[in-house]
Amino acid sequence: MGFRVKIEGAETIELHVESVQKVKLKTDIPKDSNARTKDVGSTMIISGKVLTAVDGDPFDSTRQMGLWSLVPAEKADCYRKVTVEVISADQVVRKIFFPNAFVVDYIENFGDTEGVGEFELIIRQKKDKLDKVTIEGGYGA
Amino acid sequence: MGFRLKVEGPETIDLGIENILTVEFKTDTPDDSNARSTDLGTSLIVTGKILTAVDGEEADSTIKLTQWSLVPGERADCYRKVTVDIIAASQVVRQIHLPNAFIVDYTEDYGDEEGIGTFYLHMKQKKDKTPMVKLEGGFEE
Repeated sequence: MGFRVKIEGAETIELHVESVQKVKLKTDIPKDSNARTKDVGSTMIISGKVLTAVDGDPFDSTRQMGLWSLVPAEKADCYRKVTVEVISADQVVRKIFFPNAFVVDYIENFGDTEGVGEFELIIRQKKDKLDKVTIEGGYGA
Repeated sequence: MGFRLKVEGPETIDLGIENILTVEFKTDTPDDSNARSTDLGTSLIVTGKILTAVDGEEADSTIKLTQWSLVPGERADCYRKVTVDIIAASQVVRQIHLPNAFIVDYTEDYGDEEGIGTFYLHMKQKKDKTPMVKLEGGFEE
């Protein structure tokens, strides 16, 4: 499967099939609920590779994600629009859209035995705007 | 990938590609946030080797890291300027700069089967100075 990630805010960050390795979408509901709770959250975990540009190619946009993770809560720019497309056999299996996503954690890992780094981005939709999350899919890419 | 660590304070600590094994950069906010949290912290974790000097060369500066880790919070030099360069294919993939870093944990490990020791250095940027963190990269060395 391939993944395309687009983060729109003060700047647009695009990550392509080469960079993104895994996407996980999670709906968080308290485990001790006796009936359907109002306390529902939506979290997405995106992980992938930090690539090095060679032959004068442009660098990938992973650094911009790191900068986004540092934007303080006082700035409006800490909330951005995130679209993730899961593509398989020319079909969009899922298109997940968080219109008010914020960063919960961002981790970058580098080792001396690898040529590429790794990143993990954990984002969540602002809880009071949960009804704005859209999940589509099942059409041609 | 290769790494360069520079710690500037009353003394300068330089560690190069021979010493450093892994680097992890982390932006951390509480995992149970419903919206973007103001409680934003950044961590930098560096692990590496403690090399033995042979042939009369100078010993590596890992001992200075140990001494830094022992500086109490009352002294100004417990905060130091830290720069980490992550280099691959003559490109600086990341240049992470924490201007007011302090040590959270420092561990050294030695065993009777190895000729070298290992160190684990966990640093954080002073939380009220988080906006001063710089995350650069994507340029030629």
